[in-house]
Amino acid sequence: MKLYCIIEQGNDSLKIIIVGAGEVGFHVASHLTLENKEVVVIDSDPAAIRRVSDSLDVQVLEGSGSSPVVLEDAGIQDAEIILAVTDSDEANLVACLVANILSPTTKKLARVRNGDFDKYHDILREHAPHIDNIINPEIEVVKTIESMMRVPGAADVAEFADGRIQFIGIYLDKTSRLAGIKLAELPDKVTNARPLIAAVVREEELIIPRGNDRLMPGDLVYFICEKDKLQETLAVFDKHDRPANRILIVGGGNIGLRLAKRLEEEAKYCKIIEKDADRCVLLAENLNKAVVLCGDGSDQELLAEENIQDMDVAVTLTDDEETNILASLLAKRMGAKKSITRISKFSYFPLMKAIGIEQVVSPRLSAINTILQHIRRGKVLSAISIKGEQGEVMEALALETSDIVDKPLSQITFPKGALVAGIIRRDKIIIPSGDSVIQPDDRIIIFARRQAIPKIEKILAVKLEYF
Amino acid sequence: MHWRFILRIIGVLTFFFGLTMVFPLTVGLYYHEQSAIAFLESMGITVISGLLLYLVFRKDKADTINQREGMAIVTIGWTVVGLFGAIPFFLGDVYFTFTDAFFESVSGFTTTGASVLTNIEGLSKGLLFWRSFIQWLGGMGIIVLSVAILPFLGVGGMQLYKAEVPTPVPDKLKPRIRDTAMILWKVYALISLAMVILLLLGGMTLYDAFCHTFTTMPTGGFSTKNASIAHYNSVYFDCVIIFFMLLAGINFSLHYQMLRGKTLAFWQDSECRFFLGAVVLLTLAVSLNIFGTVYQTIGAAFRYGAFQVVSIVTTTGFATADYEKWPAMSQLILLLCMFLGASAGSTGGGMKCLRIMLCFKFCYKELFSLVHPHAVSHIKIAGKPVPDDVMRSVLGFLALYVGLFAINSVLLAGLGVDFTTAFTAVASAIGNIGPGFGTVGPVENYAQIPILGKWLLIWCMLLGRLEIFTVIILVVPEFWRK
Repeated sequence: MKLYCIIEQGNDSLKIIIVGAGEVGFHVASHLTLENKEVVVIDSDPAAIRRVSDSLDVQVLEGSGSSPVVLEDAGIQDAEIILAVTDSDEANLVACLVANILSPTTKKLARVRNGDFDKYHDILREHAPHIDNIINPEIEVVKTIESMMRVPGAADVAEFADGRIQFIGIYLDKTSRLAGIKLAELPDKVTNARPLIAAVVREEELIIPRGNDRLMPGDLVYFICEKDKLQETLAVFDKHDRPANRILIVGGGNIGLRLAKRLEEEAKYCKIIEKDADRCVLLAENLNKAVVLCGDGSDQELLAEENIQDMDVAVTLTDDEETNILASLLAKRMGAKKSITRISKFSYFPLMKAIGIEQVVSPRLSAINTILQHIRRGKVLSAISIKGEQGEVMEALALETSDIVDKPLSQITFPKGALVAGIIRRDKIIIPSGDSVIQPDDRIIIFARRQAIPKIEKILAVKLEYF
Repeated sequence: MHWRFILRIIGVLTFFFGLTMVFPLTVGLYYHEQSAIAFLESMGITVISGLLLYLVFRKDKADTINQREGMAIVTIGWTVVGLFGAIPFFLGDVYFTFTDAFFESVSGFTTTGASVLTNIEGLSKGLLFWRSFIQWLGGMGIIVLSVAILPFLGVGGMQLYKAEVPTPVPDKLKPRIRDTAMILWKVYALISLAMVILLLLGGMTLYDAFCHTFTTMPTGGFSTKNASIAHYNSVYFDCVIIFFMLLAGINFSLHYQMLRGKTLAFWQDSECRFFLGAVVLLTLAVSLNIFGTVYQTIGAAFRYGAFQVVSIVTTTGFATADYEKWPAMSQLILLLCMFLGASAGSTGGGMKCLRIMLCFKFCYKELFSLVHPHAVSHIKIAGKPVPDDVMRSVLGFLALYVGLFAINSVLLAGLGVDFTTAFTAVASAIGNIGPGFGTVGPVENYAQIPILGKWLLIWCMLLGRLEIFTVIILVVPEFWRK
C-alpha cells in the first residue's frame, strides 16, 4: 500500500500504552505527552477515561487492559512499551501476560505493590510474562525517606552512580551565607567543597542559573555533589543537622512497615503509631525491636507520652494526606526536629513550603520517577523528575556511537535548557567545563528542562537509529 | 480566560493565513490580471496585521488552553479569517460592497457556496480561484490545518480541534491530535488530487478542474460558471462529481481505514450505511417523481435526480437542473435533505446523519419502553452503548439547531424577504448548502437580500459550520462571567 505509506510517514515517535488511568497513569501520560510521545491510555472506568481525554492529548480506550481485544485495538503490536499501573497487582500482571502473548517484543513494565513479589522480580523477567521491570513504588518511597534522613535539611534527594553522586534539593534559609550572592562569586565565598548548582526553583518557576544570577532566600536550590563531600557541602548551605537516630512513624501501612523493618536493620530506634488495632497486632508480629503503639497520630497526649520532643524525625505515612500534614505540623510544634510527610496529591506540593513542611514524599512521584527511567531511549540508567515536573535529571551511559562522545562539550550542540552536570569516569567524578571531553562508557548526568528532553534522548541514542 | 494569549494565537493564525494568498497571487500573475495587485495588497495587510498582533502579545504565553478558550479561539479565528479573506474581493472588484465581500468570503470558508454574484464569469480568474481555494481551506477546517502544520499550538491543539470538529462520538485516528489532523489533511489532499486527475481526463481545463475540485471536496459548491455544473452538460462530469461529493460526505476516518486496507470500512460503519442508504432511497423517490413530469426518459430523470439529491444532502449545492420547476414532492424532499446533511467527520454540513440516526433510535427506545415499562435497553452504535451525556448533547444540538433556524428565518422574513426565500435561505445557510428556494434558488443568487439579512445569514453560516455549540456559547452570558 504505497498510498498508506504517504499518509503515515514522518511518524517515528515512541508509542506507549498505559493500562490504568489512576493518578500514576494520568501523570505519566501527561508527562509523556508533553514530550510529544504517542500515548494510548486504557481504563475500564469511564470517569477516569473522561478525565484523561478531557485534559491530555492522548488516545483513550475504555475497557479492561488485560483483554486481548482491547490491547489489539490499542495497537499493542507497534507499541514499544506497555505500562500496567492499575490499582490491582493481579490486573497488572495479567495485562503484561496478555501483552507478552500478543507482542513479545514490546517492553513491559508493571506496578506490583505486594511485598510477596519482592524476591520474584527476576523470575518474572525470565519466565512467562517477561516483565522487563517490576515497579514497586513502596520500595522507592522507603528509599527516598531513608536518603532524606541521611541528608539533613534536604527537600529532595536522589542518587546517581550507585549512590556515589548525590543530587540534592535544599531550601536556602535567610541566614545562609549564600543568600543573595551571584553564582559567579561562589568560588570566592566557598573555597572547598563547592557545590555544582544545577537548578533553582523560585516561585514555582524552574531556573537554570547562569553566572550573573543570584541565589535568593527561599529558593529551592538543586545541586550535585560527591557523597564523601556531602557533609562539607551541606555546611556551605549552613545546614548542620545530625543524621536521624530516633524516628517516629505515624501510619503502619505497607510503607510504614517496610520503613520500620529497614530501620530495624540499621539498628535505629523507631516507634510506630497505628490507629487500627488489628493492624497493630500484625505490625507487632512482623517487627522485633520497634515499639508498636495503637492510637491516633494526631493525639497530643499520646505524642507527649511518647516523648515526641526527643524524636529526630516524625514520618507521617497514613493513607490520608490531610491527616499526614496535620500530624507532621503537630509533631514539629511539639518538639520533633524534623518531619517527613507523605502526600499524594500533586496539587498540594506548592503549598507545603508555605505551611512549613519541607520534606515531602509521594509514592506516585516515586513510581513516576522509576517509570521514567525505563521509558527513556538510549542507555538511561536513572531519571528523576524535579518537583513540579518542570525538569528532569538523567544519568546516562555515553554510547560509543552516539553524538556526544570524543569531542569537547563546547562543540556539542546541546538543546536550550539542558546541561551536562557531571561526568563519571570509572571512579572519578568530573565537574565538566567547556573543554571536557566525554569518552565512550562514561556515565553522564544531564539536567534538562521538560522541553529539551526529546532532543536529549535523540542525542543520547545511537546515531544509526535515525537513518 | 487568557485574552492576550488568545489574541496572540489569532495573530499567528492570521499571519499564516495571509501567506496562503500567495496561491491566488500566482494565478493572478499567470493570467496577467489586475487581481494580482489586489492580492498583493491583501496579503500585505493580512500578514502585517497578523504579525503586529503577534508582536504585541508575543510575551503572553499559557501552558494550556481550556475548553472555553478553545471555543473562543475557534469562533474568533473563523470570523477574523473570514474578514481578511474578504479583502481580496473588496479590493479586487468594484462590484463588491464590504458586506457583499464579507458574505462571499464567509460563504466560502464555511463551504456554504451561497453567492452574491449575478455574473460569476465576469469575475477575474484570480478572484474566482480564491473563491474556490477558501472553500478548500475551510472544508477540512482552518484550525485542523493549523494544528497539523503549526507546532506553536502544542498541547492546546486538542481543545481547538474539539471546538472545530465537535462530532458526537469523537474518533482519534492517532494518539496525538497533531498526527490525526495531519492524516485527515493528507487523505483530503489525496482524494482531491484524484478528482483533479479525473476531471482533467474528462477534458476540463486545468484551471477549472482545480477550482471545481476545491469546491467539491469540501462540499462547498462554488462554480466558476454562471450555470454551475449544468454549464458542461456532460454525463461524465456529473458522475465524477456525484462520486466525489459522496466521498466528501463520508467520515474521513473511514477513508483513512480504507486506505489502510480495510476494504469493508464503509459497510461496517452504521452511520455510513445510513447515509448511503438515505441517498439511494431519496434518489429513487425523486427520480421516479420527476420521471414523466419533467424528464421524459428514465435515464435523464435518474441523472438529474441523483445529482441534485447528492448535491443537497452532502450540502455541496452544485446545480445541474432548476429543481424549482420540479413537482412539490421532490422539492420537499430536497428541502428536508438540507436538514439531514452528511456524515459526522466529513466536510459536509447539516444536522449530520449520525445525530439523526441517534435521534431515531432514541425515539424508538422511548416507544419500546412504553410497551415494556420494565425493560432495560440501551441505544447502541456498532454494538456499543451510547453514553447518556452523548445522547443528551445530540438532543440538545438538534433542539438548538431547529430553534435557531426558526428564530433566524422569522428575523429574515421580518427584514422584508418573502416566505419561501426566508425559510429556505436560513435552512441553506445554517446547513452550509448554498442554494435554497424562491429568490435564492439554484439559478438565482443572494444579491437582492437586504444588507442586514446578509449579516444574519453570515451568522447562520458560522453557526452551521462550527456545529452550533462553539459559536452560540459566545452569546451565553455565563461564558463571559469571571
